[in-house]
Amino acid sequence: MAGDLKVSLDKLPIKRLDAIEENGFERFPFDVGYDEKRVNLTRRIDFAWVVEREDPNKKQKKESATSANDVTTNNQQSWQWQSLVENLQLAHQELSVIIDLINTVEANDSVTVAGMTRPKQLPCEHLSDLAVSTTTKLQSFRHLGKNFKQSAKALEEQVAREARFYGALIRLQQNWKVKRHRLVAAASGKEGFYIDLSDGSLYDLASAFRPSSMSTILVEHDAAGMLAVNLPQNSRRYLHLEFLGFSSAYYGRNYNVTKLQTLSEKSAKETREEHASDDECVRGIHSILRDVYRAIYDEHVFDLVNREACSPSLAANLTGIRENYLRLSIDQEASVSISLLISDQVHQTSRASNKNSPNEATDEALGSFDGLNFGAGIEKAKISGIPNRVGFEIYLRQLYHEYAFVRSKNAATFSFGTRSASQSVKDSSNILGHFCMSIAHRIFSNKVLLVLESLVCRTPYIQLISHPTWRSRSSTWILSMKIPQSILQAGSQFQLCSSGNMKNVRSQFWTKVVVIDDSIKVEGEGAPNVVGLFKGKADGFCAVDGFNCDLADLPIILLQQIASHIIQWLHEEALVVGIKASRDFLSLAFELEHGEVVSLVAHVDPDNIDGCITWWLIMDDVPTEEHKLHSDVGESESRKFLGYLSLDVLYSTLLDFLNLCSC
Amino acid sequence: MYPQSQTTSLQRLQNVEKRIVRVLELAGGVMEEMGNPSGPRKELVNGSCGEFMQSVKDIQLTLREEIKSACEYRPFEKCDYVPRISNEICCKKLEYVIAQIDEMKQTIEGYGDAS
Repeated sequence: MAGDLKVSLDKLPIKRLDAIEENGFERFPFDVGYDEKRVNLTRRIDFAWVVEREDPNKKQKKESATSANDVTTNNQQSWQWQSLVENLQLAHQELSVIIDLINTVEANDSVTVAGMTRPKQLPCEHLSDLAVSTTTKLQSFRHLGKNFKQSAKALEEQVAREARFYGALIRLQQNWKVKRHRLVAAASGKEGFYIDLSDGSLYDLASAFRPSSMSTILVEHDAAGMLAVNLPQNSRRYLHLEFLGFSSAYYGRNYNVTKLQTLSEKSAKETREEHASDDECVRGIHSILRDVYRAIYDEHVFDLVNREACSPSLAANLTGIRENYLRLSIDQEASVSISLLISDQVHQTSRASNKNSPNEATDEALGSFDGLNFGAGIEKAKISGIPNRVGFEIYLRQLYHEYAFVRSKNAATFSFGTRSASQSVKDSSNILGHFCMSIAHRIFSNKVLLVLESLVCRTPYIQLISHPTWRSRSSTWILSMKIPQSILQAGSQFQLCSSGNMKNVRSQFWTKVVVIDDSIKVEGEGAPNVVGLFKGKADGFCAVDGFNCDLADLPIILLQQIASHIIQWLHEEALVVGIKASRDFLSLAFELEHGEVVSLVAHVDPDNIDGCITWWLIMDDVPTEEHKLHSDVGESESRKFLGYLSLDVLYSTLLDFLNLCSC
Repeated sequence: MYPQSQTTSLQRLQNVEKRIVRVLELAGGVMEEMGNPSGPRKELVNGSCGEFMQSVKDIQLTLREEIKSACEYRPFEKCDYVPRISNEICCKKLEYVIAQIDEMKQTIEGYGDAS
């Protein structure tokens, strides 16, 4: 037998632990059966040396056969490395045998390895080891250094990005409520900021108010890491009020309202531009948030209007209802629609009503008109008394604000147990009713104003003064007649001449027209006091008196008032001058010498285009107080038509009488 | 919220962040210097380490102060949403009035032209 004898040692046949776990559970290797053990043992017999002995014989025969034919120079190089390879392989084999031996020996309890000593290192080996370790250390230092610098750069960028973000967030926080979802932040890895636009104090919790879906706005990052807010397009709806049939009447005018809305959308687009500065960015977001807040408020206003319109307590004004749309009728003539529209829908409705789209055609009860002809539209609106829709849109918002805010304030004070002042709290069912009545009042008072204007246009000595009432359901005007200064001065001369009759002649007469809801009341000093007339009192100064009247009767009544004022004034002047005169409702009678009576009579005609008050001179022996004058009677011996006289002319007529009368 | 101190405290915190970046850069520089094949330059390393320690101390001081002076969190006591909406309504009123006045001006100018 050639080759070395090899010895292999078996493990002692005792139970050996394979592994033990943390909880103390012990794992043993599988029990191997007796036969298997035998087979394993046979496997361990190494027959390699036998095989090798046979094989090399074959190999050598082959090599010797081929080597003679091959060129030796070619194989020299491969032969050199081949020996190195073989040496290394043998070394490897020996090492593995040794390691096996050591492991086997170690595995046995009975034999322990006492120790292994490295062979003493040669100095060059020592140096090379040192060199290698130093190089690796330096390498790792450099690596670390690079790491640090890279992370410093990354941190700097992140810090700059976050500085922009948080700077913008702080600016927003000064105006809006910025909150944070901590759980969401932990889950999603984002910061979880959001802007809360709802205000708990403004809305009554008892009512069916739910916070709008728009009131929570997530704060996000845009591409550059800057703060950005993403809102779905066209999600915001704004309150829109319209008088049906007159939608284009006021659209021709230059209202900034719609302009502002488009401006904010423009700025919203600008924030998406890459090079928008931080300032513009924040301002853009501010305006977006403002828009959303206004839209939320308008939604609440519309909610309230909806609820009140559908409640049975409202006097049946509701004539149409759709999603986000309500139509109410005011009186028999006008209809108003309240709707929630996306801002560009507003332009569409104005254009649509011009083109008579099918939706609007049914709503236009008052006929169509050319949308381009704004002038005609406005004229028509004026005649019907239709007011400007923007004003009432604002008023509706204000009413809601007072309602919500006062309610919340009272709710707050209520919690302290005090009774809230009820006069300022509007009952919830009254907002829409009050609003509709305000519109009705405005339409009516516009008509009244038209009448007054037409009267005053044709009566040059009357001034129309508006008297603001600061109430939405009452309006007041004053028709004032001022005696011109020239007459007053002339009159004062007479006062100095005549003896005893020192009276202060009134220089101003006024008539007040008060419209509350749709009732007209005419007030004025010097209202015809029948008792005073009978007594023949010169100073017929009466207390302020008033009476109601219709719109149809208003012109006549006002003209009569004015004419009676003039008569009064002439009467007073006559007395100052020293003429004997007596006054009737609309006539002033002078007693001439010989007992003749001449009357100056006023005739009022509201439909007369040239002037409303005309004067007649009637000469009669008998005072004709009951005599009625008709314009078709014409002039006669006893009647002379004087025409439209100004106050100066009237006064000089009076002075003419002075010459005729016996003083 | 105290606006004027908030910006400065924000600035201080931002300075802290910048300092941390600087500190990291210093560490990187020192490491690279140590990895220099010709050996680290003592004065550079000493200077950087000194700056590092000083910065860390400053950071610690600033953070401690900021934490102490952080104001109590009172959630939205002075929410101004209600006056905000009343201001928005006033804005609309003003726009309306301006439009009316513009119209009046145009009318007056029209009369001026006519005369």
